[in-house]
Amino acid sequence: MLRVTDPAALAPARAAVELELAAIDRACSRFRKDSELTRLNARSGRPVRVDPLLVDALEIALGAARLTCGDVDPTIGRALELAGYDRDWHALAARGCEPAARGREPAARGRERVARGLEPAAPVTVTARVRPAWQQVHVDRDACTIRVPAGVRIDLGATAKAWAADRAARSAARAGACGALVSIGGDIAIGGSAPRGGWLVRVTDDHRSDPSAPGQTVAVLDGGLATSSTAVRRWSQRGAAMHHIIDPRTASPVKSSWRTVSVAAADCTQANIATTAAIVRRAAAPAWLESLGLPARLVDWSGRITTLGGWPAPAPGAVQLRDASGSGPAREEVSPTGGKARAA
Amino acid sequence: MKRRHSAQTRDAALRRLGRANRWLIAGSLALTAVLAEVAAQAFPGKSLHGTFTRGTTGPSANPRGSGTGSANSVELHPPAQAPESAPEEESDRSEQPAPPAESSSQEPAGRAQPSEQQPAPAQQQPQRSESSPPVVSGGS
Repeated sequence: MLRVTDPAALAPARAAVELELAAIDRACSRFRKDSELTRLNARSGRPVRVDPLLVDALEIALGAARLTCGDVDPTIGRALELAGYDRDWHALAARGCEPAARGREPAARGRERVARGLEPAAPVTVTARVRPAWQQVHVDRDACTIRVPAGVRIDLGATAKAWAADRAARSAARAGACGALVSIGGDIAIGGSAPRGGWLVRVTDDHRSDPSAPGQTVAVLDGGLATSSTAVRRWSQRGAAMHHIIDPRTASPVKSSWRTVSVAAADCTQANIATTAAIVRRAAAPAWLESLGLPARLVDWSGRITTLGGWPAPAPGAVQLRDASGSGPAREEVSPTGGKARAA
Repeated sequence: MKRRHSAQTRDAALRRLGRANRWLIAGSLALTAVLAEVAAQAFPGKSLHGTFTRGTTGPSANPRGSGTGSANSVELHPPAQAPESAPEEESDRSEQPAPPAESSSQEPAGRAQPSEQQPAPAQQQPQRSESSPPVVSGGS
């Protein structure tokens, strides 16, 4: 999604965004056979000369791993594949999700609720063969070469989407000489000046939701805002519920105490690094986010909301009391003290 | 007489030796301080506050500013202005400044991976942001 402050600037801004996204897609897609990343993954174990854009993207991803002590790790590509995420999400969703729960036995209904993200999944050990290897990835910026350890596959999903949003927003603002907002799958980047009062953003579980979905509407004035959730992008693999956020230490989908985490930061890439790391860090996430001074909103599996770092407390009257599926109980709560709740 | 002379010579030599020792100690301390200052200027390090321990503190935010151009510059900084409550969530909407016109385009639902990113056709009609729906940020 692209929004601009000046309607006359829409056409050049959109052209700039398309150019930027096409280049990043060509460099960083794990699912395109002709992408630079696919070529790199196919030649692991030896230096590969690649497009400078992939060098940039991988350096960002390795920087994220360094910042989070490996909680956001680009070398989890193999773990994602073993978990079943080995193709474009649309193809995966068509293959994997279990049918609706109506008329099924309780155990199947329970699995269904887990698969749909209404309940946390039990930890699933995918494999013991996958080891974090981000420290062994070697990038030679001058020679534009990358060497990935043999057998390791890179996945840039935790950073490249937000990075693309940042670059696209900056390009759009420059091309249109206006303020621009770019949202890619719910990762939001601001370029140029925001309109008076800021850009309105509805923070919720799923970026495909209607703007009236349960959540909170905030005004974003600069930087970026990202949301990570274990309640969406889920699928079934041999009867076990899977999702796309991998704990690099177990090489399996993380069983987080948080359903959804939203963070505002100086740009969208930083925000997305923080949300992903917060999901992986579970109960330690609030203290970590607070130490960084990042405005954040964390929702646990009971629907309890924790806000930090200057994130606006949801107005009591604005709290949504509806299950994300529309079928479950009312579940989004704030503390009576104005929403500054601390997770127990 | 000769024995007395040799004792005086010995005492004088010991005094000279003591003075030389004191100067050596003072000089080495001064040199250590100078070298330490030079090294500190030449190789600035990180403060203890910036040390990262998993699960407790994070990489300390340096003074804000740098973006994410390369791995060395990836840092986590808060935005210049934190998000604010949206107008509809505040009690007095009349105090909100009128937002400017804006134009928007919707992306197809569910397209989230870098491989899937393509902006959808834009809607060319300018709208006031207070009448256009908010952008949705959610998991993907």
